[in-house]
This record gives sequence, C-alpha cells and structure tokens, in this order.
Amino acid sequence: MSSDAYDYEALGLIAGLEIHQQLDTETKLFCESPTDLREPEESDRTITRFLHPTKSELGELDDAALEESRVDREFEYLAYDSTCLVEEDDEPPTEVDGEALDVAMQIASLLDMEIVDQLHVMRKLVIDGSNTSGFQRSMLLGQEGEIQTSEGPVSIVDLLLEEESAQRVEEYDGGVRYSLDRLGIPLVEIGTGPDIRSPEQAKEAAKRIGMLLRSTGTVKRGLGTIRQDVNVSIEEGARVEIKGVQALDQIDEIVRLEVGRQSELVDIAEELQARDASVGDTQDVTTVFEDTDSGVIGGALGDGGTVTAVPLYGFDGLVGREIQPDRRLGTELSDHAKRNGAGGIFHTDELPAYGVTDEEVAALRDAVDAGDDDAVAIVAADPETADLAIEAAAERAETAIEGVPEETRDATDEGTTRYLRPLPGAARMYPETDVPPVEPDPSEIDEPELLTEKVDRYQEVFDLDSGLAEQVAYGRRMPLFEEAVDRGIDPTFAASVLESTVTELRRDDVAVENIADAHFLAVFDLVADDELAKEGVNDVLTVLAEQPDLTAEAAIEEAGLGGVDDEEVREIIAGVVERNADQVAEEGMGAFSGLMGECMAELRGKADGDTVSDVLREEIGKRS
Amino acid sequence: MNPGDRVRVERGGTTNEGVVLPSSTSDHIVLKLDGGYNIGIDREAASVDVLETDVHDIDDDGEPDDGAVSEIEFGDELPTISLISTGGTIASTVDYRTGAVTAQFTAEDVLRAVPELAGRANYRGRVVANILSENMEPTIWQELATAVYEEIEAGADGVVVMHGTDTMQYSAAALSFMLNTPVPIVFTGSQRSADRPSSDNVMNAVSAVEAAKADCAEVLLCMHASASDDRCALHRGTRVRKNHTSRRDAFETIGNKPLATIEYETARDDGADGDAADDAITFNREYAARGETDLALSDDLNPAVELVKFTPGMDPAAWDYLDDADGVIIEGTGLGHIHTELIPRVKELVDNGTVVAMTSQCLEGRVCDRVYDTGRDLLDAGIVEAGDTLPGTAKVKLMWALANVGNPTEAMGRSLAGELTEESQPWQ
Repeated sequence: MSSDAYDYEALGLIAGLEIHQQLDTETKLFCESPTDLREPEESDRTITRFLHPTKSELGELDDAALEESRVDREFEYLAYDSTCLVEEDDEPPTEVDGEALDVAMQIASLLDMEIVDQLHVMRKLVIDGSNTSGFQRSMLLGQEGEIQTSEGPVSIVDLLLEEESAQRVEEYDGGVRYSLDRLGIPLVEIGTGPDIRSPEQAKEAAKRIGMLLRSTGTVKRGLGTIRQDVNVSIEEGARVEIKGVQALDQIDEIVRLEVGRQSELVDIAEELQARDASVGDTQDVTTVFEDTDSGVIGGALGDGGTVTAVPLYGFDGLVGREIQPDRRLGTELSDHAKRNGAGGIFHTDELPAYGVTDEEVAALRDAVDAGDDDAVAIVAADPETADLAIEAAAERAETAIEGVPEETRDATDEGTTRYLRPLPGAARMYPETDVPPVEPDPSEIDEPELLTEKVDRYQEVFDLDSGLAEQVAYGRRMPLFEEAVDRGIDPTFAASVLESTVTELRRDDVAVENIADAHFLAVFDLVADDELAKEGVNDVLTVLAEQPDLTAEAAIEEAGLGGVDDEEVREIIAGVVERNADQVAEEGMGAFSGLMGECMAELRGKADGDTVSDVLREEIGKRS
Repeated sequence: MNPGDRVRVERGGTTNEGVVLPSSTSDHIVLKLDGGYNIGIDREAASVDVLETDVHDIDDDGEPDDGAVSEIEFGDELPTISLISTGGTIASTVDYRTGAVTAQFTAEDVLRAVPELAGRANYRGRVVANILSENMEPTIWQELATAVYEEIEAGADGVVVMHGTDTMQYSAAALSFMLNTPVPIVFTGSQRSADRPSSDNVMNAVSAVEAAKADCAEVLLCMHASASDDRCALHRGTRVRKNHTSRRDAFETIGNKPLATIEYETARDDGADGDAADDAITFNREYAARGETDLALSDDLNPAVELVKFTPGMDPAAWDYLDDADGVIIEGTGLGHIHTELIPRVKELVDNGTVVAMTSQCLEGRVCDRVYDTGRDLLDAGIVEAGDTLPGTAKVKLMWALANVGNPTEAMGRSLAGELTEESQPWQ
C-alpha cells in the first residue's frame, strides 16, 4: 500500500486544524500567579476534591463527558508556592489578564480576523478533574480570518482565549492526581475551516499558523506548549478528530495515513457488503482452550478468566488486512477491546500463532459455527472484561460493514492513530458570572514583525548569513537577541553565542536552560567592555549554567578567567616564546602559528585572540 | 428584537446567528451562538434580521411559593428531615442557554440539585425566604424560628436550614437563643455556587443531613473543615464566625476546636440507606443529646440594638445616633477598651437606660475591664462585660435578652446558649 498513490481530490479529502498554543505571559489568565511549570516534588500542599456534574433540564451531559466521569472519582491537586487560591477554586477569578488579551488580539490580527466587540467569558463543562472548578473558562475573541497557503486560502473560523487545564500527574487507586502549576496559563485555540485538501496543505497551514504565533514573541516553547488536532474525512469516509499531534512535521504524514485508513476501510466495507457479511452473537468458548499451550490464553484461564468469541461471517481475510502501517482491521477491533480493559484480541486471520494450534482454531470455528469464509475474534480475560471487550469488538466489526466510524483518535509516534473515544457532543457552556465582559480595543493592537520578515532583516541589516538568521529568528532566544543588539552588541557575535555556542554547550550536557537572559546580557556587556575575551564565553556560560546564582563577574572568577591584565598577558606570552627560543631563532615569524596555539592554551580565554596575536608578533619580533 | 429571538446579525462583514440574551445592554446585543459561546455585538454598527421569535422562553418564572411545604418519602423506617430554605445557592440550577442561576426550593428541587441526599431520610421541604443573606432581617429570624418550631412539632427528626453564608452565623445565633430543641438544627450553605461541578454544596448538604440525623440536639453550623472535600466541621451556632471571604473552610469556631467533625466519605456511605452515620462524627466536647430538652420557642426580639466598633481616630459624633438604641454592643480594643474621651458618652447612654455590653475586636479571648484605668472607668460608667461572647453573637443575644429576660444587663454576663464560656482553656 503506497500512500502516495492516493488521489486526494478524487477521494474528496477534507481536513481542518485546531491549534492550541500556550501564551508566555507574566501571569495567568485569571490570577496573578506566574505561568511557570514546576516539578511535582516541589509541591508544598495538596487538596482533594470531588466533582459533581449536575444535570438540569437543559444541561444534559453528553456521552463523551459521562464516559470521562466515573462516579466518586477523587481528584488530588498539587499546589505550589507559585499557585494561589484561584487555581484551587477557593477564590473568584480576577478580570481577564491584559497581557494575554493583547497577545491574543495580536494573533487574531495576524490571522486577519475580526475581533469580537464584547468578549464574554464562558464556562465550558469539563468533569475529568483537569479543572478544579469543573469547567474551563473560555472566550470567543476572533472570527472569520484567513491564511494563505500555496494551494489556496484556508479560513480561520474562530480564535478562543481560554485557560489551560491542570497537568495530569498520575492515576492512583480511586483517583487522579493533577498539578496546579499549568492550570490557568493563557491558551489560544485556533480553528481552521474545513478547507484543507491535501496532506501537504495541512502541514503548510499548521506551519504558517505556528510561524504567526511565534512572531508575537509571547508564546510558550517546548514540549506540550503547542498541541495540534487534525480533523480528517474523505467523501465516503467519516469525520475523525485526531488529538495530540505534537510535531508539526508529522501532520502531512498523519493526514496521509488517515486517508489511507479511511479508504481501506471503505474498500473493506464494500467487500463485506458484497459478501453479505454479518456479525454473529458473542459466546463463551473457554472449553476450546482448556488445554491450550498459548501463554496469553492459558495465563488468563489460570487466573479464573474465560475466553469469549464472536463469529464474523464473511470476514475471512479482511480482519488481517492492513489499513495503516502495522495496523489491521483487527487492530481496530483490538483498540475497542482494550478500551474495555482487555489486553487485545486474537482473530483467525492471524491464527494459528501465539501458541494457538490448528486444532484449536478448527475447534473454535466449530464452536461458533464459522466456516472457511468467516473469521472469529476472541478475547481472553477475567469473565466480566472478556464479555465487555468481545461485545465492544463485535460492535466495531458491525460498523466495519457500514464503513468508517466517526470518532476521536489518538496520534501515535509513528503517525498512525488509534481509537480514543466517541466524538464530543456540543460543549456545555454557560456564562462565567464572576468575570465581567471585556470590550477590547483593536486599534491598540501592535502587529509584530513576522519571523519571515525578521529573517530577511537580520540578513540585510545585521549581515547574518541566512542559516544563522533563520536559527535566531525562529529560535527561542530571539527576543534576547534583539535586546542584545539594541544595547549595541555585535549582532553576529550575539547570534553565534545564542545559537551556536548554546547548541555546543548543550551537546556537552551543560544545562543551558539554567542560564538566565540577564546572564547572557551581562556576558555580552563584559565582552563589549573588554572584561572578558570572546574565547572565554563558553567557560563562563558553563559556570553560570552550573551555578545560576552567581553574577557574570563572579562566574569569570570561578572559571579562572579573572584578573589578567595586559602585563600578565605579555609575561605569559614572553614565557612561551622563551621556552621556544630555539624554534623562534630558527623560523622567525614562521613559528607564529605554532606558538599562537600554545599561548591561547595557556591563557585559556583570559585574553582575546587579537591581543594575543599582536603581543606574540611583538615578542617574536624582538628575537628575530 | 427581544430576548429569546433567533437573529442574524451583520457587523463589519462578519455574520453571526444566535439567540438574543437578556444580558443585552443598550450598547451591545448579546448573542448565544450555536457553538455555545456568547458574544456582545456593537448595537449601532450591527444590522439585525429576526429569524424566529421566542425560540426560547427566557422569562424567569422560578419564584418560589413562600410557606409551601413539600414532602418526599423514601421509606417508613427512615428519619424525617426538614429542609428549610432562606435563599442562597446551595440548591440552584443553571439554564445553560442563558446562564441564569435559579434557586430551587421544594424538596424535589433540592433532591434534583443534590441527588446524593436521596434515600438518607424522608424530606419535608419548606421555604421561609428567598433572599441574599446580606439582606437578612430580625423579622425573618422570627419567621425562621417559628418554621423550625413547627417542623419539629410536626415530627421532624432533624432540621437543615439552607442559608447564604454571609450572615449565616447571625441566624444560627438567633435560633440558638430563640429555640429550645430536642433535635438537631443544622445550618449549611455553600461558598461555591451550586451551578458548578466543584460546588461544596453536595458535601455540605449531605453532611448537614447526617448531622441532623445524629444525636447532638443543638443549633449547629455545618461547613467544610478544610480546603479539601474530606470532612465538615460542626460549629456551635453561637461560637462560629465566617473568617475568610471565599474559601470553603471559611467558618471557624472561635476560641476552641469545632464541636465536632464529620468524615464525609464515611457519612456519605454509612448514612446512604437512612442509618445514622455515627462512626463518621467525632465530637470534641460535651453536647446536648437528642431528646434531653423539651421543644420551646421564645421568638420575641427587640431589634433596637447596635453593634459599634471603636477604632483610633473615629469621630465621637459617630455614636450620636445611639440615642435611640435600647442596647449597644461595643467592639472595643484589647481587653475591652475605647478612647477615654468616649467614656462619658457611654455613661450617658447607660444613664438613659441603654444596656451597653463590651466585647473585643480581638475575637479570641475574653474581655476584662478591671486591669487598666480605662476599663475600670468603663465599668464605673455602667457597661457589662460580655466575657468571650463574639461581637455579632452579642448583638443577637442582646436583641433577644431585651425582649425575654428580666435583667438583660446581668444576662449579658452569663451564658444562655453556649455563647460565653466559663473559663478560658488553651486549645491550639
């Protein structure tokens, strides 16, 4: 199956994107807490809560929400010295954070959107515990925007400004533990229209939106700070929402593979209909496997489990058909069985295998009245799970006869997807009465320079080469670079420290994330004032990464680079020349390059190369 | 165009369809869009097409029927608990179209809002008032006390009073003085409104009903004991105070541990079928047991009592208005002091027949006016020391004492309903 073989236009591919981006504001959206993430070990108090979703005549909970809320599940929240009562749902929210509003409006403007006259904060019911309140605060800020791609425009339907949920730490017996550090970080959600027609266009649109977001200089960077959902359907398929795509580079592949999956499922459905296929009743087939050598089945039976089976009439050969790399129709059945607690399923298209013998397969077919044209799927687990899981698999098999099911799927690292849950219903929303409406002033929006424009400017004005210009502009230290240049630091020097040097140090396992912006600026200033040689920058940054509490000046001392004046430099160089007097006498200036290396090694960055070179020339000159 | 109409609004090239909400102002039309979001659109810049009128009936017809009694039974053998509403949001529902929060009052309404109450008891629902608790009045305390009295007389095994939290402590104190009760009378409310899944209403209501089924026949206040949903505290109605503006565990007993704590999960599970959840409740002190006291109501009040706080720099003229008061509670500094220049004014009031009682803004500890000259002068002027009575409780007590006891001045110096402790025992 070559995915490149698809004619997307003929298949009627329709895709859309939903992009969630955390903003890098000083404070959270509805309180004065910083937007910094913490380690769970740093938590200094915990609280436990229950959520009680109430039903009113209009507030019926939808299936997806109910599936999330198991009765009496306890939620534990880790609080920090950087979180407050608002995150704990023990104090009313503040008004909407002004900085977050400004950034969101900037983004809306970059996306060519209309900004809503009056923003109303809504409460969107979320009862999985990820919000202490039981709802997520969200407001519709922008409408009717558009971006351009090489394959045509893509509409931007809406831009929401909302609060990020709490980070799930782990599940424990009877509950789920969440961390409050992330709760309330401003988040923009950008939804495109269903205008995307090819995998490449999906990736290009996502990249374009990503570039616009980063151009603000006020979005969070790093793992988990941007999440992309991709909606994909083909004409004969169904709308599938793919959650949690972390890497932009994966988006085209995910769309490609989803088109492949839907189109294979459509083929399978056609074939099943042609065969007049059907799904029989599930039943207990434990006796077939009483003496099995299969480790999986034998293990389950040994623990008091049962084997349940469902005959899939007319399915022979199709259950094992590949629909995505390493995923078959059988895998889809298996996903549903897994959602109900089983380890997975076996099916006759892959048997005999896994210790299941020919004779057992024949006996299994016999037991459920399945012939050669039929397939059988089985589950081995504790009795309750075995029943639930085989029913779920059977239900999925029924759907296979009809075609592609609408659902929410989870992206895997390989670019394939697996079943996650049913599509969510319309969000249940009501006004957040604790926060007054906001009337934003679009005339105050300060549209930032785009990163693409920055790359050009860095090349033209600062004379950076194109590679370095792009690295800096798209890098996370871009604002720092601009600040450094603003205070008169040589752009090429600043860029190469912030990109090349930092990358080098990171490769040497130096914890560069510990180096504060102020430290970089101080180091730049010291170099500019000739207090530190460029050659010493690596060592000083290394010290600052290890001991972030030091000042840059103290780090110079700590690195052993301090206190060398011109006199000492000359002394050291004269010493080197003296030691190599014979060579100097013999080669004259020819000895320069060899001795230069020796001098630099001895000075270890205490003096810059130009000075050393000048003095060395003089010292050699004296002797020749 | 009216609230409830479905409209199409064009504004600056953007078109929106939705239902007009009552929150619209003269400047902005507020629309609920199909996706659920509300947005405000500049009225002047918008052109509106009404697509359909009265799509939703937006009018609020949720006005309760004052005084109505509703009943809901789960089984003959279950205890009967009266649920009395005075307003507040412990049982309210939200209209997801408009966001309007409506307080609910009948027993069925309360059970619908807090389904966890079902099966624990048979319920009688009764509405005394539908007010914000900051609008509470002494006349409503009287109506409330009468309603509770009638409910107990009608056979209620316990009473739960649902009350806004702002002035809950005053109402609890009022009922403590007005009623002698053979069954528990438990006040409860919520610090987070019932329209949110995280509301404390469920745990508070369940715990209050379990306290009302239990053995302690006093006027109690039942609210969260910590920021977690782990246990509620039972406070004596005369010793409790709201000490935080927003936290779930805002209420604290002053000068001691709460009378008892209720482990929520144990109470919820043990009491679910109507049994008493005794294992869930831990008492820290002696209490009046069920049936020990005969039911009696003394609901007369003299509302002409003022509570005044002395602060440095205050204008003495601020106390001019006290001339008409029959009673004055002073919230003094420290051991019970005011500026010495105000003492003649106090003497004047006492000489005119006003009962003046001294409490302390320290809240913790008791008044003692025999230590310093100021205090001795105040005693000479005729004030009565209210011991460690909380200032708010002292106000309610004096209203009651003026109407019910022969010598209110003397009564202010001794305990009538657990409001004034005999001795100061360290407790922290």
